Amino acid sequence: MLDAVSILSILALALGLVLGYAAIRYKVEGNPLVDQIDAILPQTQCGQCDFPGCRPYAEAIASGEAEINQCPPGGQDGVDALAELLDVETLTLNAEHGETKPKRIAVVDEKVCIGCTLCIQACPVDAFVGSSKVMTQVIVSECTGCDLCLPVCPVDCIDMVEVKPTINTFVPNVLELANV
Amino acid sequence: MSNFTFKGGLVLENPFPAKEIDLIRIPLPDRVVLPMQQRIGDQAKPCVSVGDHVLTGQVIATIDDDRCAPVHASISGTVVAIDNQVMAHQSGLEALCVTIESDGEDEWMDNSVACTENYDFCTPDTIYNKIRLSGIVGMGGAGFPTHTKVQFAEGCHTLIVNATECEPGIMCDDALMQAYPTKVIRGVEVLLHICGAEKAIIAIEDDKKESIELLRKFCKNERITIEAIPTKYTSGAEKILVKSLLGIEIPSGGYASDVGVLCQNVGTLVAIFDAVVENRPLISRVVTITGSAIKEPKNLQVRLGASYDYVLSFADIEQGENDIRMAGMMMGVDLEGTNYSISKNTNCIFVNKPIEKPSAQECIRCGMCNTVCPVELLPQQLYWYSKSSNIEKALDYNLLDCIECGCCSHVCPSNIPLVDYYQFAKALNKQQTKEKEQTDNARERFEFREFRLERNKQERAEMMEAKKKALKEKMAKDKAQKIAIAAAQERVNAAKTAKESEDAR
Repeated sequence: MLDAVSILSILALALGLVLGYAAIRYKVEGNPLVDQIDAILPQTQCGQCDFPGCRPYAEAIASGEAEINQCPPGGQDGVDALAELLDVETLTLNAEHGETKPKRIAVVDEKVCIGCTLCIQACPVDAFVGSSKVMTQVIVSECTGCDLCLPVCPVDCIDMVEVKPTINTFVPNVLELANV
Repeated sequence: MSNFTFKGGLVLENPFPAKEIDLIRIPLPDRVVLPMQQRIGDQAKPCVSVGDHVLTGQVIATIDDDRCAPVHASISGTVVAIDNQVMAHQSGLEALCVTIESDGEDEWMDNSVACTENYDFCTPDTIYNKIRLSGIVGMGGAGFPTHTKVQFAEGCHTLIVNATECEPGIMCDDALMQAYPTKVIRGVEVLLHICGAEKAIIAIEDDKKESIELLRKFCKNERITIEAIPTKYTSGAEKILVKSLLGIEIPSGGYASDVGVLCQNVGTLVAIFDAVVENRPLISRVVTITGSAIKEPKNLQVRLGASYDYVLSFADIEQGENDIRMAGMMMGVDLEGTNYSISKNTNCIFVNKPIEKPSAQECIRCGMCNTVCPVELLPQQLYWYSKSSNIEKALDYNLLDCIECGCCSHVCPSNIPLVDYYQFAKALNKQQTKEKEQTDNARERFEFREFRLERNKQERAEMMEAKKKALKEKMAKDKAQKIAIAAAQERVNAAKTAKESEDAR
């Protein structure tokens, strides 16, 4: 009787120590759920969700402060993916936050640009190259098409241009195939 | 010795055999349209302007990286347009093209400086650069830049010359070998000289008896062997050819260069000969014109950029509405109309009488596609996953190893266009991979910007703090100084008054 009690007590103590150590040694930094949500969000950083970027929005969803249907660039597919991840009923995209648009990039009209640098400060992903009183242009591969540079431009020299598929990026339509 | 065959594949007769396989040189076209976008890599950048006079063989577009090849003027004349034109591609999208109107002279660039017949005295590097600057790409249809392929294959042990003909119906390789057997052999010798391989194997399908005989007659080099391999479709696919000739399997996702083999199409070798020995860049190719609406199939030597209409005017075409298909019956692309031009990888044009395409039915899981797949994939599984856009699963089933040969679609009793689904899945995978890269990049840049702004704010706060402290210290110091001055003044004043009172006394 005493043997069993003492063995079990020692065992419990030892395992408790191991678990306690593991809890400190392998502590998960931050909230993994936020990372998972952030991975689904399109990283446009446009702020249409009323949060200053995708990660803040992910944090808000994780803490239950925001709905999952506030991200127009992610589209309905994004909302569905979030619903699946969080195991909740899916919602339709909230039209108040804007509509889903095809992928676009900003292009500066170089003749009009005055080099005010306001767009450089507004860009959430540092996609502008320029400096005070010199012409500014966009690094095409970095632009997420968030539109945040449009309202700050004092001379309206930025255009959002839709990215058209080229021969290298063309994707055939599978629904058309199914109807053959 | 193996019997040079492989698992799967299809034995297909040439549907429209020609009585005689001649190579016909057609007259110069009046205008050529040269696409800047080639099958692989980035778009070449035009280095001429509208109105410029160009000579045959002059470079009209240059390249930035080695994934594409420069473009040369295929006729002499005037550049009349640099604009977007519809490409011979399943998407029907436009891409940048340079249009040259002929002056009828066919005046060549100065091509007197070359390695000539004495290429043995040129270093491999010289010859490699010659190939690179001559805009040569794989002439079998894949259009991969030859210089890049040669570079990858550095230190290879075997050179395989693919003279198998891509698909039944196409005869351009056969015609080329019969017209220029010596050029083929010399081309192999040039390539052996630069790639350092010990031996070369010219693989020809055994239904091309004349070509085999001719090449054997002209080949005096003991490092080159000519092998007749069974006529079976997809024997010309690089990976399968390497496997059936040498018994070496190229690992999934790898290239022939990974197993020390360089594989080149016979047309490419003739282009290499022209470039290295005669100093003529790639400006023409052989195109087979065949199909059910053609009375006698022909092989034409055509300047690149000639329009389909012009090329087809040399064939006897039956009147009426016909369907146009670029490249072979298995892997080709159906095109709308004939408003296209011959590009470096146009090996064949099919002109077919319109037939009602049988509509696709549901998959009955018969498994015929599995038995014919020459790369031993599971086409049926790939079909399900591609159809449901389940790219992850399709990749698990080695979607990317599919060579899109079309054997599965050909045998499918339900007429499912299987390869179209795989092409869709591959394109979707490419798109998703690129998007993933972009979102990861954007996330990283956003997070770094947040970090930078925060850091700037902190640095600024620290700076302000430091300034404030310095100012306070300074003020304190000032105060101390003032006190010291005041004390000194007082002392002086005290001394003065003391002196004055002493004086007064």
